[in-house]
Amino acid sequence: MLVLTRRPGESIVVGENIVVTVIEIKGGQVRIGIDAPREAEVYREEIYEQVKQENLTAIANVDEIRKAVQGDGD
Amino acid sequence: MGYPTSPNCTIRLWGMTDETGTESREHKGVLEKALRFPEGLPGLPDLENFVIVELREDGAFQQLQSLDNTDVSMIVCVPWLFFPDYAPVLSDIEQAELELESADDAVLFVPVSFDRESRQMFLNLLGPFVVNSKTRIGRQLVLTGTDYTTRTKIELPGT
Repeated sequence: MLVLTRRPGESIVVGENIVVTVIEIKGGQVRIGIDAPREAEVYREEIYEQVKQENLTAIANVDEIRKAVQGDGD
Repeated sequence: MGYPTSPNCTIRLWGMTDETGTESREHKGVLEKALRFPEGLPGLPDLENFVIVELREDGAFQQLQSLDNTDVSMIVCVPWLFFPDYAPVLSDIEQAELELESADDAVLFVPVSFDRESRQMFLNLLGPFVVNSKTRIGRQLVLTGTDYTTRTKIELPGT
């Protein structure tokens, strides 16, 4: 992983057209601004990860869930 | 039993197949009714082609079955069965990507999940599937910037 040190107001450029700017550092949190083209989708990693994990859980338990939803008869 | 049936509560907008649909006689029909997720799903990027299998006569739950890996499927349902106020918003990018010209063309359903220890069932309201019913192309959204979660508890009627 590339590790860079930035101060508030300073930026990092990723690829041709994505600019990540450190806006503010306060109380252990960093506010980050992202300029990216419309087609580049930006997610908080943990949010995307949650959906991914829940898909895998849903798939792993598909037989249980199918039984439960069919349980009260058709 | 006991599921509401308002117009919002149906996803019978595309052809469905029943569980006998995998018989060779029906196979062509299954493929014709397939949905395509060009980007795959989060966690399953290689699975693009799916079919919806109806699980109940009342249409409350469906199985989203992968055609690329027949071992992979998940149960889905229309979220408004349980959460009438659910109101996901598609970004301009998502609408453009799905070539959605009208909200009427969008069909939405969400994954059903389950916790083995507590035996609790959940809807994943953070990651709904949206399909353009005209093109049958869809994707799973990640509703960033909302309070929706992947584990919103549901109780099935009669359980």
